[in-house]
Amino acid sequence: MSGFKTVLLKECRDNFRDRRTILSSFSLAVLGPLLFIGLMSFVLNTALGESSEPAEVSITGAEYAPDLIDYLASRNTEITLIDSEDPRTDVVERRHDLILAIPEDYQARFTEGLMVPVTLWHDSSQIGSSRRNFSAVRAMVGSYARTIGVLRLQLRGVDPTIANPIVVQEMDTASPAARALTVLATLPYLLILVVFMGGFYLAIDATAGEREHGSLEPLLCQPISRAALVLGKTCAAAVFSAVSLALFLVSFAIAIPFAPLHKIGMSLEVDVAMSAAIFFVSTPLMVLGAAVLTSVASYAKSYKEAQTYLTMVILVPTLPLIVTQMMNIEPSAVLMTVPSLSQSMLINQLITGETVDYLHVFISMAMTSLTAAAMIRLTVWLYNRERILI
Amino acid sequence: MIQAEGLVKSFGAVQAVQDVSFKADDGRVTALLGPNGAGKSTCLRILSTILTADAGKAYVGGHEVGTDRNAVLKSMGVLPHATGLYTRLTARENIAYFGELHGIGKAALTNRIDDLVQELEMSAFIDRKVEGFSQGQRIKVALARAIVHNPQNLMLDEPTNGLDVMATRALREIILSLKRQGRCVLFSSHIMQEVANLCDDVIVIGGGQVRFQGTLDELVRSSGEEDLEDAFIRMAGIEE
Repeated sequence: MSGFKTVLLKECRDNFRDRRTILSSFSLAVLGPLLFIGLMSFVLNTALGESSEPAEVSITGAEYAPDLIDYLASRNTEITLIDSEDPRTDVVERRHDLILAIPEDYQARFTEGLMVPVTLWHDSSQIGSSRRNFSAVRAMVGSYARTIGVLRLQLRGVDPTIANPIVVQEMDTASPAARALTVLATLPYLLILVVFMGGFYLAIDATAGEREHGSLEPLLCQPISRAALVLGKTCAAAVFSAVSLALFLVSFAIAIPFAPLHKIGMSLEVDVAMSAAIFFVSTPLMVLGAAVLTSVASYAKSYKEAQTYLTMVILVPTLPLIVTQMMNIEPSAVLMTVPSLSQSMLINQLITGETVDYLHVFISMAMTSLTAAAMIRLTVWLYNRERILI
Repeated sequence: MIQAEGLVKSFGAVQAVQDVSFKADDGRVTALLGPNGAGKSTCLRILSTILTADAGKAYVGGHEVGTDRNAVLKSMGVLPHATGLYTRLTARENIAYFGELHGIGKAALTNRIDDLVQELEMSAFIDRKVEGFSQGQRIKVALARAIVHNPQNLMLDEPTNGLDVMATRALREIILSLKRQGRCVLFSSHIMQEVANLCDDVIVIGGGQVRFQGTLDELVRSSGEEDLEDAFIRMAGIEE
């Protein structure tokens, strides 16, 4: 394997000097965690905000129904008393988002035990908090009405349950912590993308780029075996992937304290040991990623062509992740044979602090390495063909 | 010494080279002459081990091409059609890269590159990045890279293509000095003037076959034409 190291060093040095390659190889790695933390903060803040923020409602004709207003005020609401002639226009013209209109004859009908229509004006095409306010206020008024109804039945000596044969109990289990975990589950995608993006441009430059610049022919006239040549180029791409992942982990460790995870009682500490473990289980994937990128880019005739192919190729490793996440499949020894999927599962376990099965780690690393070796062989075969130059 | 014996090569239905035999001796400059598409580059690519001949044998410095690839490549320098330098590397790094691939040790390589800088007058730009080099500077670096391992044999594929007068002149000087050192230089061309100025022997190729091999004088004499260009055209069979 003489010459392997020479090629490896040359490709690394050559590409480290290219600002465009550096920028596109490592920008995702450095900025990805910031993006991730931003998304996490956003989700957490909305999730936390929703459960505690009072429902805002404007009420017209409040003086006709002081009991109802007292009841609403005792709940989590923020009431604005208004005097609106035309609630419909007020809502349409957005002077108020939600208006509860109480009729003049409220008290009279109420005392007689007649049905009292109150109107809740809202605009369902508005997104944002108004829809949530609407359902909250509707539920409150409804529960007030039920309470009154129950009292009336009891006064007449009737069992109130007779009027409610079936009761639906709504249980929303989506806690802020669960939502935060959904965001956290996207982290492996990002990590795998970072690994692939790291070697992306070097792989193109070292193969299709070399071909396009006419430097491949003199290179092939050097006394170095095609296998050493391909291995050197592939490993150079893997080095870039490794740098990319390392940068990501550093950037992530710096950014994670800024995520408001403490608000939901979760603590996520990314320490050196965890980062090292993530890096370690990902090493075969770096080589595989580099091998796949290099082989596909070797097949392409020009830089542009290679770029087109590889953009499609880097979507492939995320496919098994999406499928299993949708189907909610647990990690198993069989799934550990699938490259990229196995790494994402292991990384997920490492981040959430679950115990990792060492057998799983072994299967994942072995199978991914074998696949990488097969891809390298394929690239060597491509380079042994005369068509590599034509 | 570079030798071809009955080389045959086809790409699909196209027969690029049909039964080509020739010899280029040490201490002489030999031109492979022919119109575009005559099979010159294919011959050179077979000799530089990049293409495999369908039939026939070829030897470089006594080593058989195809069976003894490493020995062939070690005894031969190749300057292909495009200079193919790495523009983000300096001239020195470009030369050193190929030197290392040839397995030259660090100290020996430094000495060798210093010698080449002297020989090819590259001191003004040896440590600059190749990006922005003139053609003359590029051809010098590419040539230095091709002969960094001190090969006995040198093959150049249309080396003066796209070069200006000064660069062509510099290249000619270098080729002549290599010849004086007793090396075997084989280059392909379709420009008569440079052939006349430089060559001892001529091989005319047309339609994938050798039409003539001998000295320049013999070429003119045997064609029955006064002018070298007319002689070439007649020999290559272009006028038909």
